[in-house]
Amino acid sequence: MIPAPVVPLVCYQILAAILFTIGVVGVLVRRSALIIFMSIELMLNAVNLSFVAFSRQHGTMDGHIFVFFVMAVAAAEVAVGLAILVAIFRNRDTANVDDVRLLRG
Amino acid sequence: MLIPAFLFAMFAGVAIGCAVGMVFHRNPVHCALLLVGVLLSISGLFILLNASFLAALQVLVYAGAIMVLFLFVLMLLNIRGESPLLTRGAAKGFGILFAIVVFVELLWTVLSPQVEPGGMAASPSVPRSFGSPAAIGRVLYTVWLYPFEITSILLLIAVIGAVVLAKRKFG
Amino acid sequence: MDIAFLIESLAKVLIVLGFVLLGVPLIVWMERKVLGHMQDRIGPERVGPFGLLQTIADGIKLFMKEDLVPAQADKVVFILAPAITVITALVALTVIPWGDQVTILGRTVPLHIADVNVALLFVLATTSMGVYGIVLGGWASNSKYPLLGGLRSSAQMISYELAQGISLVSVVLLAGTLSLAQIARQQAHMWYVVPQFFGFLIYVISGIAETNRAPFDLPEAETELVAGFHTEYSSMKWAFYFLGEYANMMVVSGIAITVFLGGWHGPVLPSVAWFLIKLTLFLFFYIWLRATFPRLRYDQLMGFGWKVLLPASLLNLVVTAAVVAL
Repeated sequence: MIPAPVVPLVCYQILAAILFTIGVVGVLVRRSALIIFMSIELMLNAVNLSFVAFSRQHGTMDGHIFVFFVMAVAAAEVAVGLAILVAIFRNRDTANVDDVRLLRG
Repeated sequence: MLIPAFLFAMFAGVAIGCAVGMVFHRNPVHCALLLVGVLLSISGLFILLNASFLAALQVLVYAGAIMVLFLFVLMLLNIRGESPLLTRGAAKGFGILFAIVVFVELLWTVLSPQVEPGGMAASPSVPRSFGSPAAIGRVLYTVWLYPFEITSILLLIAVIGAVVLAKRKFG
Repeated sequence: MDIAFLIESLAKVLIVLGFVLLGVPLIVWMERKVLGHMQDRIGPERVGPFGLLQTIADGIKLFMKEDLVPAQADKVVFILAPAITVITALVALTVIPWGDQVTILGRTVPLHIADVNVALLFVLATTSMGVYGIVLGGWASNSKYPLLGGLRSSAQMISYELAQGISLVSVVLLAGTLSLAQIARQQAHMWYVVPQFFGFLIYVISGIAETNRAPFDLPEAETELVAGFHTEYSSMKWAFYFLGEYANMMVVSGIAITVFLGGWHGPVLPSVAWFLIKLTLFLFFYIWLRATFPRLRYDQLMGFGWKVLLPASLLNLVVTAAVVAL
């Protein structure tokens, strides 16, 4: 048996909250689409950390499975997202989100 | 007793430091590297939580594949840091305000005793196989079999989508 | 977590580290000597008996050289990149079992630094981190040819990692464990190279591509890219890249031996001796390949990785899975 962890669950939750918030700041204030993308990855990772911590707390594997799925979806998302970015960069020669506003006229 | 607490503090510190650096660094390649730092320290935290399989997967998939893809695109397109760094005008202030609201809300949720009774109590001990590939496989291929299969279809769609999007148009 | 365990681990770390630092000059010497004889030359012979100390002399020369950092280079990343290459290679060596467990002073000591239950994944993870050393080195130099070399290598390593990982998964299906120590122990009667010969072939080919060795040394193709990603590197930083490359060869060989070639199993001689013999033979094979094959063209390399190696490894996996299930 693996004994109970030394660091209580709530520490992991607070850390996850801090990382998630930093990710939110990145998405909202940065202009480069790539950095926004990275910030989204950061938010996903914060949630993953929280999942794993809860999973450990309850002693069940379901949280791990969720993280597994999140990783798979993140991989798919990055592949498509970066392809879109490359396409945008080819057409408009910029990766900044506030320069890409064709729909606004 | 002291070692896990020290490791947690170290990984948490590195993660937060790298995350802040990532959001406010101008050079996108440095941002990507700092994010790799965050991912590696989260992998370390996974090990502290006895999730050895996920820790390896985190390094392999996130740091080893996804971030290399990021770097590849950064170098291929030769994207420079944006200037000004942050969005102009009201969006910036609103963004930070919104982030603070989100953080307070998250803290409220985490610290409120109704959400997680015994959240402050020590976690139970778990069997040695906890977080091992065998344990994950057993659950993944029984309870979560259909989501797993759907994920494979999702990945296939993503592959095709990426090829279609990134391909130059003929003629 | 007692003191004896701590001392034991520390001793093992130091021994493996010393082995790498002493072994790499020996491998370099062997490479130059073998290449020389294969090309009808003698190879180094002046420094020390049979030229054995030639690499040491070269090392001292590199140490004394001026350490250049290009003016427009990204200094931090430029210095970080070679270190990443060496560190990832050394970390991967920690899970390789160098021999059967031995008893020292009434204490059973397993001859690997750490028995991780996901050791195989751990190795794959660290080698995938090794890409950063090369890509960043190419990028941080802020120069055309290194950048091209870095981009090439990142594409190459991502492509060949897949085939490599999948060929190892087939063995995992047979062994039923990801722990390298257990995989090695299971091969007392039959080496996994027998049922998994195609997996072994795929692993070796992609392993050579992973370590950027001939005939897959496109990232440093001197006829096109000057010296590839390390064009701007000099002195000890360059030596670090060199050390990393050879340590990575040790990792790939060590995994091939542990997973496919029976690990430390062998008659008469002690287990460590067998491991070292196999390691030397595998490294000789590396050098032999370099002397034999011309370099591939880049599109051939990528086409081979994606259109031949990956489908072949997937087919191998499916067949293995079917056989195991029956």
